Amino acid sequence: MKYKIFTNTIKTTKAMSKKSIVIILAIVIAFTACNTKQSEETETTSTEQSNQLYACPMHPEVTGKKGDKCSKCGMELTELVKSETVVQSTTEPATIESTTKVSIKEIVGAYLQLKNTLTKDNSKDAATTAKAFIAAFKNFDKSAFTSEQKKTFDDIESDAKEHAEHIGANAGKIEHQREHFDMLSKDIYDLVKAFGAGQTLYKDFCPMYNDGKGATWLSETKEIKNPYYGKSMLTCGSMKEELK
Amino acid sequence: MKYLKKILLAFIILFIGIQFIIPVRNESEQVLSIDISKTFNVPDSVLSVLKISCYDCHSNNTNYPWYSNIQPVAWLLDSDVKNGKDKLNFSEFGSYTKRRQQSKLRSIISQIQDNKMPISNYTIMHKNAVLTTRNKTLITSWLNKTRESLSILN
Repeated sequence: MKYKIFTNTIKTTKAMSKKSIVIILAIVIAFTACNTKQSEETETTSTEQSNQLYACPMHPEVTGKKGDKCSKCGMELTELVKSETVVQSTTEPATIESTTKVSIKEIVGAYLQLKNTLTKDNSKDAATTAKAFIAAFKNFDKSAFTSEQKKTFDDIESDAKEHAEHIGANAGKIEHQREHFDMLSKDIYDLVKAFGAGQTLYKDFCPMYNDGKGATWLSETKEIKNPYYGKSMLTCGSMKEELK
Repeated sequence: MKYLKKILLAFIILFIGIQFIIPVRNESEQVLSIDISKTFNVPDSVLSVLKISCYDCHSNNTNYPWYSNIQPVAWLLDSDVKNGKDKLNFSEFGSYTKRRQQSKLRSIISQIQDNKMPISNYTIMHKNAVLTTRNKTLITSWLNKTRESLSILN
């Protein structure tokens, strides 16, 4: 039956122009389907650019959105600011340590937020905060690092980012998120050990998780709030180390 | 009926047309110095299980089935292989830092234990890739041992 239709249509060559339109249409649809992904990607990059900070060419400490006027001299803000740490290093010759600590603090802050969503068993919020955590890493300014520091940082970053991506992509699967949070916590612990956190942190230990092998996490409070079991075992665990 | 014929013809021509768009095959005879077998001491028994159950998507060498010569099947396979290699590539395992190697090993173990890997839409067509309980213990115990040896190093 199918073959019959096929030969019949070939005989009717008169309708060829219409046919070719149909064919072209089909091909165009097939190709546009492939291209939609690319256009999505370009959209996200353009929105990122609009969030960029700009500084006054005369007063680098004055920053704002593009097109804003400087509060000191009224000039348009045109100088592109890469990240907040750059602004700091221009206003005062800060030491390497204090500039890195400010941004490490952002990364640690994002981690702590993520931890708090897991203690509340909120898988959806965990995914959202994981994405903010990745952004904190992305905006981090490494220019003040020595090559040795950069190596340590890159090593931790590549691993931590991967875990955060998994947490971000698995909203609704809190067990899977917690598994990656366990590995992520080790990365952040090493990060804090190497660069400091800019705040006091506590390393807590849950002996039950991971089939009895145990798991650690970092917390901003002395009080135990277990992110691996949430409500079902909120106060289970013990403080092992105080990080200053 | 007329429209139906036209649509059918369009699909046939499109189907023939797409047969010429062939993605590059994921095949490489070369064993790199960063291959997992060069990074760790992998017993042959473990390696052969990995090759059958994992290597089609997680190495530089896919063993292609016959239907991979038909489009758009090859496109779908290509994207699966790319995605798989992006997450984990045994052929280039040595290029990961020690930290990531540990993470990868742990993730592999939990994926296998939770029966998430090999993925079900792969095992439908590759029944021999399904891990038997014996093979599961064989590779997870090796993975665990390797992971522990790594954490001692750190």
